Amino acid sequence: MNVLSRDGWQRTSPFAILFFVGKIVRVIAQNAWQSIAPLFVYISVGKEDLVTKIVVGGITLALVIVVGSILSWLFFRYRVLDDSVLIRSGVFRKKQLDIKFDRIQGINTQQNPVYRFLDLVTVTFDTAGSSGDEGNLPAVTRDFANALRKQIGSTRSKRTDAGDDADADSLQPLLKLDWRDMVRIGLADRRALIVFALIGPLMEQMGDEIRGYVDEALQSAALNAMQFGVSTGIQIAAAVLVGLLVLFAMISIAAAFLRYHNFELYLDGTTLRSHGGLLTRHEHSIDLQKIQTLRLQQGIVQIWLKRFSMTARQAISGRKQRRKKVFSIPVVTAAQADGLRPLLLAEEAGRLSQDPRDPGFSPVSAYYMRSRILYIGLLPALAFAAFFAVEVGPPGITGLLWLPVVALLAWRNWKRAGYRFDADEIIRRSGLFGYRTVSLLFRKVQRITVTQSHYQRRKGLASLRLYMASGTVNIPYIELSLARQLRDYILYRIESSEKAWH
Amino acid sequence: MFENLEVALEGLPRADTLDWQPLDPNLKKLQQLQGLLALAAAAIPLAFINIVAGIPALPAVLVWSGWALVLIVVLAWPGIALPKRGYVVRDRDILFRKGVIWRSVTAIPFNRIQHVETSSTPFDRKFGIATLQLFTAGGSGGDLKIDGLSADTAEQLRVFVLRKVGRSIERAE
Repeated sequence: MNVLSRDGWQRTSPFAILFFVGKIVRVIAQNAWQSIAPLFVYISVGKEDLVTKIVVGGITLALVIVVGSILSWLFFRYRVLDDSVLIRSGVFRKKQLDIKFDRIQGINTQQNPVYRFLDLVTVTFDTAGSSGDEGNLPAVTRDFANALRKQIGSTRSKRTDAGDDADADSLQPLLKLDWRDMVRIGLADRRALIVFALIGPLMEQMGDEIRGYVDEALQSAALNAMQFGVSTGIQIAAAVLVGLLVLFAMISIAAAFLRYHNFELYLDGTTLRSHGGLLTRHEHSIDLQKIQTLRLQQGIVQIWLKRFSMTARQAISGRKQRRKKVFSIPVVTAAQADGLRPLLLAEEAGRLSQDPRDPGFSPVSAYYMRSRILYIGLLPALAFAAFFAVEVGPPGITGLLWLPVVALLAWRNWKRAGYRFDADEIIRRSGLFGYRTVSLLFRKVQRITVTQSHYQRRKGLASLRLYMASGTVNIPYIELSLARQLRDYILYRIESSEKAWH
Repeated sequence: MFENLEVALEGLPRADTLDWQPLDPNLKKLQQLQGLLALAAAAIPLAFINIVAGIPALPAVLVWSGWALVLIVVLAWPGIALPKRGYVVRDRDILFRKGVIWRSVTAIPFNRIQHVETSSTPFDRKFGIATLQLFTAGGSGGDLKIDGLSADTAEQLRVFVLRKVGRSIERAE
């Protein structure tokens, strides 16, 4: 335990300067306009020639970053007490962060290549209810991080009376991802599209050459089309398009390798841990008790790959945190997910299959489609058709085509909607093109609302809304009697539960 | 299919066959008065423009009949909506119902309440009315807000709920 060396304020390793460099660069990038403005003024006003200006400006910027980082490191102190971690930071504006162990939901670590070489990690504390002010301990030793994790775990298990101290080294991984999974993650990554959107303007700015290539290719395609007929031209254009797609798929797969290489999932006592990453190693952990909902998601590409992504969500406070409070397993099969469920959700639950194709799901009422078709489909279609028929003439009637499109989507959405439950948990299924299933334990629900619209009242239907600490889960258009029974039963489960929900 | 659940359901307390407590009768007057004041405030610039700028007759009639329509709604709505609202306090939870077109019943168990708050505006205090707010974890949208309790009831409820919350914490530990 002397790794934690509890006496007095500690300074982290000088390599923490790297962390502060990253942080300052991030701050500068986030406030790009404010921070670049002085530089820009200098470049446009100064009398020197452009190259000198850029060199001087660059050196100044680098100096600011380096000096700022060194100062940040010099003024950074931390101290580990029996029940909390104190962090003091700030060069001009002093700040002390007091992180109580029992507020910590998980300890995440990151290891960039330099740190990996030196066996150092950056610790991030995942705390409940803090608004944005998160604690970091940059460049501490791995032993220190592990000791800290153990101590925080033991403080907590004393309180909640659970969890046995398993030896971290002898743990068998619950799940390991190999290179094929990296390809799957890369192909399924929705961010590939975002990357495309980001690279687009970038290419416009920097890659005139690339554009030149594409233009040339397209031009020759057009020429060829004239010379050799349309088919050759289309072939070339298609080749260019496919080439681009392959390129983006490769970038996306490379990103998957960077982030998830050698991804492994462990259960360490009552803490779920994952680590992975090619250059920078990310280690995440979540306390099993803190899990509020388990989500299994499948996009269009993932349907084709027969894989899902799984996420465990914990309590959030405020919308900002939504993203941070998610523990994710990037790729699993349905069978793997169902195998993990009893471990993650609770020993008494997780008997149901969360596979969206499982026949155990009950459909919601088909009236679910009606309001969507009526309000998103029929009324706008009529309005459009009427407007264009007046403005444009008879062709305006094509506006009515909106209706079948909406109807088709509403139908698909209804087919995807479903729910199933047993004595301990409920699973909700939804989706439009893909699938999403969310499962939760009854005893972790915070409050319940049964809602009926005028139309639902006439049909004896209702929507059941379950408010979790991680967000809401809505089960729409079920029989009123069932909604009420479920509500009464869930209330009974919450009120008779002796266990904490967090 | 769900044997365990069905057995348990028979003996469960039902949340539908309850004695719903109405809100304070003064709330109707308060809401009507607030509506009237807001409309009067809107009428002043309207009248000013109408007289000084001299709007043609037809738009003026339309605007004022719109104003009158809103007036009717403002006066009538509390009488329609407020009887639909009500709350029930049980041993382990509190329920609140509301809604004319979309009706909803919300239930919060005491052992999920994080904190309780009562508040009242100067207007509220003139009518002896207060709002009780119950907060649960997660902050997903508005937590339960019961506005239009008499100030005494709100205070009693606040104390009662706090005691219940405290007891449920003891039970959990």
